[in-house]
Amino acid sequence: MTESNYNEITSLLCDRLSTLTNSNIEITPDTNLISQLSIDSIKLLNLIMEIEDTFDVSIPINALADVQTVRELADLVYKIKFAS
Amino acid sequence: MSSTITKLNAPLTQAFDFQPSSEIQLTPTPTLNSLSQRLAGFDTLTSALEYAANGTTGYNFYDAKGNLRSVLPYSRLRANARALAQNLAGFELSRGSRVAIIADTSPEFIELFFACRYAGLVPFAMPIPVNLGSHAIYVQQLRGMLESSQASIALANLDYISFLEEAAAKANHVQWVGTPGKLSEAPSKDFNILPNLPDETAYLQFTSGSTRTPRGVVITERALMSNLQGIVRNGLQIRPTDRSASWLPFYHDMGLVGLVLAPMVTQISVDYLATRDFAIRPLQWLRLISRNRCTVAFSQPFGLKLCTLRVRESDLKELDLNCWRAAGIGAEMIRPDTLRNFAEKFASAGFDKNAFLPCYGLAESTLAVTFSPLGEGCKSIQVDSKTLIDKKMAARLQADGRKQNEFVNCGRPLPGHTVKIVDEEGQQLSEKMVGSVLVQGDSLMTGYYNNPEETNKALKAGNWLDTGDIGFLFEGDLYITGRRTDVIIVNGRNIRAQDIEELAEQQPEVRSREASAFGINDEDGTTTIVLVIECRLTTVTERQSLTTRLQQLVYMAFGVNCVVELVPPHTLPRTSSGKLSRFAARQGYIQRTNVSSQLSFVESGDR
Repeated sequence: MTESNYNEITSLLCDRLSTLTNSNIEITPDTNLISQLSIDSIKLLNLIMEIEDTFDVSIPINALADVQTVRELADLVYKIKFAS
Repeated sequence: MSSTITKLNAPLTQAFDFQPSSEIQLTPTPTLNSLSQRLAGFDTLTSALEYAANGTTGYNFYDAKGNLRSVLPYSRLRANARALAQNLAGFELSRGSRVAIIADTSPEFIELFFACRYAGLVPFAMPIPVNLGSHAIYVQQLRGMLESSQASIALANLDYISFLEEAAAKANHVQWVGTPGKLSEAPSKDFNILPNLPDETAYLQFTSGSTRTPRGVVITERALMSNLQGIVRNGLQIRPTDRSASWLPFYHDMGLVGLVLAPMVTQISVDYLATRDFAIRPLQWLRLISRNRCTVAFSQPFGLKLCTLRVRESDLKELDLNCWRAAGIGAEMIRPDTLRNFAEKFASAGFDKNAFLPCYGLAESTLAVTFSPLGEGCKSIQVDSKTLIDKKMAARLQADGRKQNEFVNCGRPLPGHTVKIVDEEGQQLSEKMVGSVLVQGDSLMTGYYNNPEETNKALKAGNWLDTGDIGFLFEGDLYITGRRTDVIIVNGRNIRAQDIEELAEQQPEVRSREASAFGINDEDGTTTIVLVIECRLTTVTERQSLTTRLQQLVYMAFGVNCVVELVPPHTLPRTSSGKLSRFAARQGYIQRTNVSSQLSFVESGDR
């Protein structure tokens, strides 16, 4: 159950990111949001809004300081949504 | 502490109402005060708060969904700040010692800020981390500020305390690090709260994210009171029916001085939305204005752009913005198009374009320098591009069809302030001539804290502040045409070229004075940062690794993408004294890459 939730988050993130960044690289959990996708501040805001609306969570701004890859972002969303 | 405050503050009927949920309905502070309004004219911040505390108005904090989360009337602020001042006194610090506070949009920050003033200490606001992956660089930036200020105490809310502890671990002067909650449990000392003096430092304001040379602007009580008085009496003509709404960060001068302190010295209420919540859903800010009938709200042009871009047409119906009488715009160069697009989009929601109030200012002059007249909207001038470039002169457009530039009128200096334009030799220029903007007046900083070198660069003979901006005067009004090459503005953020070069020079492959950073503008006004590096690496892998790392570092530190160009040694042009010339480096880059549409008049060389 929890694993499928996690996978759902990851696949949704990959999907949204590929639309947002319009890039040709295949997006995997290891893709680096900064160096590989060069996601700018407006795109980041759009992404956070979509995540928050889709999963009904609030992403704390301090947690983003430790996020660089798609996996780290998925972990964060999962932790907020299902842990605690 | 503030959750108790808000409960205590809830009206009795509601507090004792039987409700299935444990949530107590909050009521925001009223717009109309029970106290007669005084428009600034106090001698210090604490004496202003002592007066405001007699009324019913204050600060209100809303969450991302627009729900009221906490209420801090000025009366409560006074009581809490005075109590916390006793805890601060327990540390037995000497008067004027610095206290660092990470400034999220919270009641706790404001309570701590005033607690410091009651205890005779000097607070300063530190930023919250906003960029992806910025952990390490953010901690370095905090450490830079702690060291430069030699802060004795450092405070942060729970969300940020771990970053602060990490930063303070190697900062020698810091005696104590903790949350506001921990401070309120610290041993307190009964002491008589003494009035502050106008010549004492009120606070420091950091203006640069540099880790090596942070610059903390020193603002005295006198300068602050003078600027606040000019803002509320002349700039905004505040009246008893006014109410503010703000998303501006408390760690920026416009957020702190303009939307925390200015409302307090006029005893009006403010509704706050955290910057992050505004950035994700700008509609919430407009909803607050509409719902609470706010009259005064400021933004950077970038904030207006976000509203125009992200608010949906279908959301406009629920908004009624005709209460908004002063839409102050400042903090970065204003492009008339940004304002026109906003006014067009929100006209159907009742926004009056005459509410636009372009202003000019900077932290080194507390906040505000010039204000345009109230109720007249954004005025601009169209000048001939060729004359502007060839003669550095703003000549009104004579014939149609010639290339033109449009600049926004930022208005006239506040009373007690003078603006002049000078050439590269420091000679005063006549009207319409473009040069460096210098400011003199009562609101100027005394200098950068503990940084005589930077202070001497900014404060010239006769106590004229060199603002670093380029512009001209026309019929007594100030027009800003750009920044000198040492500051790059991207999406509303001021980024010092030096800070980017410094990041590059921290890489083992890059020697000092072999990196040059500057901004390049697109036709549509978008700015891209370019970082040119003199590089000895020969293999593709090594060069690629350096490029990627630099882009990543710049992103983590400043939240923007940049172009990295590696060039052979001795490519970057140097001045006769061996300093890199960013202006020439930029010209060289433009030639190499054939970016033809660059406007070259906005810079007049390096500082």
